[in-house]
Amino acid sequence: MRRTFNNLSTNKQVKKVLSAVFIYCILIIVSAIFFFPCLWLILSSFSKTGSLYDIEGFFPKEFSFDSFIKLFTDTSQYNYPMWLLNTLIIAIFNCIFSTLLVIGTAYTISYFQFKSRKGLMKGALILSMFPSFMGMTVIYILMTQFNIVNNIWGLILIYSCTAPLGYLVQKGFFDTIPQSIYEAAKIDGATNARIFSTITLPLAKPIIVYTALTSFAWPWSDFILPKLLLIDKNNWTVAVGLMQLQQNEFSRFAAGSVFIAIPIVVLYFFLVKYMVNGMTAGAVKG
Amino acid sequence: MKRFFKNIAIKTNNTYVNFINFFKVSNINVKASMALMGLGQLMYRQIGRGILYLAIEILGIVFFSLYGFHWLVGLITLGTVEADPWTGLEGDNSVIFLLLGLMSLTLLILFIALYISNVKDAYKTSLLVLKGEKIPTFKEDLKDLLDKKFYKTMLFLPLLGTLIFSVLPIVFMILVAFTNYGDTVLPPVLVDWIGIDNFVKIFSLGDIGPTFFKILGWNILWAVSTTLLNYVLGLLLAIILNKKVVKAKFFWRLFPILAYAIPGFITLTAFKFMFAQGGPINQYIIQAGGSAIPFLTKDGTWWARIIGLLINAWLTVPSVMLLATGILSNINNDLYEAARIDGAGSFKQFKDITLPFVVFATTPTLITSFIGNFNNFGVFYFLRGAIESDGYFASNDTDLLINWLYRLSIDNTYYSIGAAISLIIFVITSAISLIIYIKSPAYKKEDTFR
Repeated sequence: MRRTFNNLSTNKQVKKVLSAVFIYCILIIVSAIFFFPCLWLILSSFSKTGSLYDIEGFFPKEFSFDSFIKLFTDTSQYNYPMWLLNTLIIAIFNCIFSTLLVIGTAYTISYFQFKSRKGLMKGALILSMFPSFMGMTVIYILMTQFNIVNNIWGLILIYSCTAPLGYLVQKGFFDTIPQSIYEAAKIDGATNARIFSTITLPLAKPIIVYTALTSFAWPWSDFILPKLLLIDKNNWTVAVGLMQLQQNEFSRFAAGSVFIAIPIVVLYFFLVKYMVNGMTAGAVKG
Repeated sequence: MKRFFKNIAIKTNNTYVNFINFFKVSNINVKASMALMGLGQLMYRQIGRGILYLAIEILGIVFFSLYGFHWLVGLITLGTVEADPWTGLEGDNSVIFLLLGLMSLTLLILFIALYISNVKDAYKTSLLVLKGEKIPTFKEDLKDLLDKKFYKTMLFLPLLGTLIFSVLPIVFMILVAFTNYGDTVLPPVLVDWIGIDNFVKIFSLGDIGPTFFKILGWNILWAVSTTLLNYVLGLLLAIILNKKVVKAKFFWRLFPILAYAIPGFITLTAFKFMFAQGGPINQYIIQAGGSAIPFLTKDGTWWARIIGLLINAWLTVPSVMLLATGILSNINNDLYEAARIDGAGSFKQFKDITLPFVVFATTPTLITSFIGNFNNFGVFYFLRGAIESDGYFASNDTDLLINWLYRLSIDNTYYSIGAAISLIIFVITSAISLIIYIKSPAYKKEDTFR
């Protein structure tokens, strides 16, 4: 009797160990799948030969900093420093304007119960159903018709003005601030503008940080709109520029990518908690 | 259908009766506002308000008599004078006519809305006077913009921006869908209204129709399979990472988050290089004595489709995993405790507690990700952006509708066909989501927090 019991428990333990081994195997494979392309890019950015064909396989045989040095010094054809500067300017101004507009919209829609509120929300929903290319095609047509000078301020304007439509995540945050917090201030006779600036804004710090960082990060990865809007090489953003690099410039592409990907990745690691919250908020709020 | 029209008839009749009644009860000042914007307000000694309304009316009349009316006519004709390079005659530009007409139409609607608000405002004031209350001064009006009407102040800029950069472009494209603008009909050639001919072209035989249905079929197959694949893989990954045996969870989560964080255009370009004809994978195959596989070239239809599916999984599984992880941590542990006491095994717990909860909580995101995938532009734009297949009209066999739209309107100049396809995409996506959004309990109960 006792022996069978022992047997059973060892059996169970063996099963447990086996399943743990199995799970760790899966985890290692999954991590490898996710990590391998990144590793490949990083190693290629340090390869001594520049072309995809010369590397022969995934891993370069000789390493050097040439690609990085070339990236910043050899600017006659591919002006990477200029692209960096452009993207930085766009990112900073987009960050400021978009955050102001999105936070303002989200707060207003969440806090005030005015007559056209539901209508506005439904309107925003309907607008988001149209393919984004419709707006871009119009911009493209107007550019070809009027030869509008392509500059980065137009891009900033379009980014900022279309940002408020993505207010839902932020609204979800404001919805969780209980009305009772405002009551005391209201009794003291504070105006809504005052309540907003002295009570709501300090409370909303996390969502403001989230909005600011995501709108700062967006111009670094968007490629469609800047590709349409910025024709002059010197106005390109990093994304548009890197897309032009062909297979024989592979390690330069890798170097340029690694250089901008690192700050963005670091940013995301800080943001990941907010992102999950935002996603669930978006999910529940629709 | 009959009932629908009957309802409309009743409603219009009601509006008419209401208006007559309203006209009867309103006093002389309100009637003054009906005749001339701001007059009623001035008669109530609301000088600031009255002058503002009056200025709007004057500006409106000046604008419409000088330009607006011509522009509205231009919207209907889309230009009548064809340019003639021989005589040097500078003809009408239909696109500009369309644009100005649209602007003028918007301003007209705005003007009418302001006119109505002006009458309503006078009426409100007359009620205040009847009740013997004080009429607010202009200064108090302005102050109210920071208090009770603060939402107007806050929403002014966002609404203006949305109107100019989202609403107007979309309306412009909707109008274009009913013209013959594009291909050979580009200014200085005059553009015409052609009704629903573009839609007929898309749904009938010819060069465009067959391409549309082929792409639509693949697009639906793609959206369903990629959404399900990403969802299942992401969920599995989250559940595995959530297991108690897994130590150092943060470390294992690093890798998917890394994949999630890298800008999409970088990974997509990298994968394009990886699977290129002379790329590393084919180099290994050749070294091993095989011949290069046409992964992403013109012949690699199913190779490219499956690679696209896998790459999209690489890109989006992490976000599903993050979402599911958040949801898993929200499940009440008492449920598991109770199940354990009742003798439920770990599989039964998973089947009856974890799975229903996660599926319930993620259904709305499943819908949004379905729509996102239906319109997933990036994957095939990067992988096979330069390829055009035989039997496809300006497109290839991995293109989704959104990719085709891009080729039609940006790479080529088929603007009106592109606009019509945009509308079809809109109908498909909104039909899917409207049902979900409006009927979902989350939407109905959005204010239950309070």
